[in-house]
Amino acid sequence: MTALIRNPLTIVWALLAAVTIVSSLIALDGGAAHQINTTVTTAVLLIAAVKAYMVIWHFMEVRRAPIWLKATTGGWVLGLFTLLLSFYYASL
Amino acid sequence: MTNVAEGVTPGVDNSRPDDSRRGHVPGDSSMWFFVIGDLVIFGVYFVGYMYFRGQNHELFLQSQARLNLDIGAINTVMLLTSSLFVALGTEAARAGNRVAALQRFWIALAFGAAFPLLKMFEWIPEICSGLTPGTNLFFMYYYVMTGMHLCHVALGLVIMCFILRNLRTSKAPKISFVETGATYWHMVDVLWLVLFALLYLMR
Repeated sequence: MTALIRNPLTIVWALLAAVTIVSSLIALDGGAAHQINTTVTTAVLLIAAVKAYMVIWHFMEVRRAPIWLKATTGGWVLGLFTLLLSFYYASL
Repeated sequence: MTNVAEGVTPGVDNSRPDDSRRGHVPGDSSMWFFVIGDLVIFGVYFVGYMYFRGQNHELFLQSQARLNLDIGAINTVMLLTSSLFVALGTEAARAGNRVAALQRFWIALAFGAAFPLLKMFEWIPEICSGLTPGTNLFFMYYYVMTGMHLCHVALGLVIMCFILRNLRTSKAPKISFVETGATYWHMVDVLWLVLFALLYLMR
């Protein structure tokens, strides 16, 4: 049991769960009025990008993968969130 | 003797050899092509959602207010926890610890199965209150994207059952099959993390 708790994967999970709660609290607090809020949107999208890459890197084991897989998955996260934030800011 | 007593049986490590210079592709390469293709397809939906949201912020913000953020957040933690146990189970299978691998995949299956159940608790009250895909563009995107994701979850749960069968009945479990199934399940998790931010959290 102690080995499971000390496993690096469990530590990654604890971080992911913690930032999920933080994201929800940001949306509940700053976004309670359900009005456009660039701070809330930027924060939750950046947190989602980091979470997605943490899952890809640690759980999907891309950290041990060849460079083409690291580049493709990293490019997807970077490209997607750049586009999402660009479309969001362009529409304001 | 000790190994047998502890349920440690060597699996067939038919995954690609771990060359430190070239790296190791977890599971079957064809699954990675599928995963990357799926990520790109969902990426197009996500960007499309953001484009149409930009055309009518007010409608999307008002519609978003009617979603159940609590269930969305709990479901996110359910999928993350399921993914953790899949990763831990894969690690155990690779180490030849079949008992630990089986336990961890059963736990992963339980957390994964909680996702569609909670989704029903979310969808049914929404549909009963008249929120359907025809209500407006936000709810069309909401039901289509979460519905397609739910189909992926269902397929992932079936794959996990096959992994459990492979671990339970094979004399020498195929590690690459375990890795391939795990890769798919983690992709389902990644897609939900983006959906959760877009549909429930952003303002």
